Amino acid sequence: MATTIIETGGLTRSYGDICALKPLDLQVPEGEWLSVMGHSGSGKSTLMNLVGGLDRPSAGSLMVGGEDLLALSEDGLARFRREFVGIIFQQHHLVPYLTAVENVMLAQYFHSVPDEAEARSALERVGLGHRLKNRPGELSGGEQQRVCIARAIINSPKLLLGDEPTGNLDHKSTVMIMELLKELRAEERFTVVMVTHNQEVAAWGDRTIYLDDGVLVREERTNS
Amino acid sequence: MLFRILKNSFLKRPKAVLLIFLSITMGAAVATAFLGISGEISHKMALELRSYGANILLEPSAVEGGFLREEDLPKIKTVFWKYNITGFTPYLFSIAEFSAGGKKERGVVSGTWFAKQLEVPGEDSSIQGIKGIAPWWEVQGRWPEDAAEAIIGAALAKRLNVVAGGDVTTIVRGRSQQFRIVGVVTTGGYEEEQLFAPLVTVQSLLQLPGKVSRVLVSALTVPMDDFGKKDPATMSKDEYEKWYCTAYVTSVAKNVEEVMAGSRAKPIWQIASAEGALLKKLNSVMLLLTVLALGASATAVSTSLMASMAERSPEIALMKAVGADRFQISAIFVGETLLISMAGGVVGYLLGDQLAEVISRTVFSSTIVSPLWLFPTAIISALSVAIAGSVVPLRRALLIEPVRVLKG
Ligand SMILES: Nc1ncnc2c1ncn2[C@@H]1O[C@H](COP(=O)(O)OP(=O)(O)OP(=O)(O)O)[C@@H](O)[C@H]1O
Ligand SMILES: [Mg+2]
Repeated sequence: MATTIIETGGLTRSYGDICALKPLDLQVPEGEWLSVMGHSGSGKSTLMNLVGGLDRPSAGSLMVGGEDLLALSEDGLARFRREFVGIIFQQHHLVPYLTAVENVMLAQYFHSVPDEAEARSALERVGLGHRLKNRPGELSGGEQQRVCIARAIINSPKLLLGDEPTGNLDHKSTVMIMELLKELRAEERFTVVMVTHNQEVAAWGDRTIYLDDGVLVREERTNS
Repeated sequence: MLFRILKNSFLKRPKAVLLIFLSITMGAAVATAFLGISGEISHKMALELRSYGANILLEPSAVEGGFLREEDLPKIKTVFWKYNITGFTPYLFSIAEFSAGGKKERGVVSGTWFAKQLEVPGEDSSIQGIKGIAPWWEVQGRWPEDAAEAIIGAALAKRLNVVAGGDVTTIVRGRSQQFRIVGVVTTGGYEEEQLFAPLVTVQSLLQLPGKVSRVLVSALTVPMDDFGKKDPATMSKDEYEKWYCTAYVTSVAKNVEEVMAGSRAKPIWQIASAEGALLKKLNSVMLLLTVLALGASATAVSTSLMASMAERSPEIALMKAVGADRFQISAIFVGETLLISMAGGVVGYLLGDQLAEVISRTVFSSTIVSPLWLFPTAIISALSVAIAGSVVPLRRALLIEPVRVLKG
């Protein structure tokens, strides 16, 4: 039995009257690829943000990689994010005035020291060796998302989070991204938590959980 | 990397950067110009003020009677503070009986210098006398040029019913001297009851050759402060030296007193303290204007930074999401503003220096040499403006919550 990388106990997040996440108990073993599904507003992003240290729970316990996220200060959470987590959003969030390689180097800079050669090879691994010096505006949606992947893995995170990373992509690009992620996971052995609306995308994972109105209603193992 | 981020962020948003740059440049330019000319203004104002009367009175130190010696007067041009002494004039006076056209009146006859060419070995030649230290005197007619010419105070002239061109006989203790009146003088003061004649003539009339009863000295002085008000007699040697070497009206007076045998010098406090207060106020006004100008430009910087922060919040949120802590975020934005403000400081200094030059030329028709401390002051002003202007926007930036901004 592998060690548990994410462990939540009664994890709750409410915004005033709205309870986005009802008390949730969840364990994710190290190395697992977990898909999170549910209709819009069911609390998927909320869960993702809590696990990634981008948001703080209203109640409950939250251990990620042996770190008690509730006990961390704001700067402690920032350190946790840069050292432990790689995040890919639906909108390919890149700094518009920096080139592809500089966007990857930015994550290195916050983490430790920027290393251009390493950033280049990360972009080569996601198949963008020929677009290093282009700015986000000059890249297609799929290409931008691949820059985000390169940036997410550059500091060798233990946990890769994706909030509908293929939500804006067509089928072909989606498959390409998923294959890329699968390949990278095989090499880097990180744990994946991925939010998606797409059954097909969810099927790339080992396990899928379904949220409904902030409650975990169902989970199933994927047979792959 | 920080440099790369800054460079690209500048290139991407030239307008926003330019706006901040201009705000800082303006602030630094105005501060430089104000501070650059403030020394000049104080100096010029002090000079102007000096024309409103002498501020040191020299009298014989003897309790009664006694005179000063005319031959000592040139020594005033050789004292330590000689360059601060803008003029002086001696007086020898007496009650006299005046008669003109059958009218007789009592009044005061004053022997003095009007505009005497004074040659002192080793010093520049200068013109000393009433014309120099009392430029507000209005003379209808002209100033005396000859030993037997005089000007008469307007009130006395009225009583004697004389005008320029008339003759007045002056009688003191039985001796008489006739003067040709060449001008009637209006001063607005007690001088209007007097007749002013050349010193030598009055000396012989009074049979007091080479004697002077008082000397009025006009000197540039610095405002009295607490130290200046201390009694020199109680000072230590070092303190006394410092006091002596500061152009307080008291130390200049002391300085002059030392060269005039048997004299006692008294500051004319009314004038000295009024001037000091005025100059002090002037300096505070200049300083206040400088601070206001810097405050205005800090506000402008803050406003433009606020606007660009709003525009850049996705970028800040993103940096936070990938793990930048507050220090790293601050470094980027403070670095940016500091770079801009350095440039703004240098350009502002150059502009301000020119501005000071132009102001000084047009207002005071003189050139100024900008002091060495002006450049660091300009840079420091620019940096302070930048820092003061960044505080609020930076706090805003640090409060940005990535989750809210990056919502997909
Ligand atoms: N900052 C917020 N303030 C108030 N309510 C919020 C906030 N963020 C999320 N919510 C609410 O919490 C609930 C869950 O939101 P969440 O973003 O987790 O949904 P989601 O499952 O990711 O939906 P989608 O599939 O549309 O992205 C929603 O009802 C949403 O309105
Ligand atoms: Mg969502």
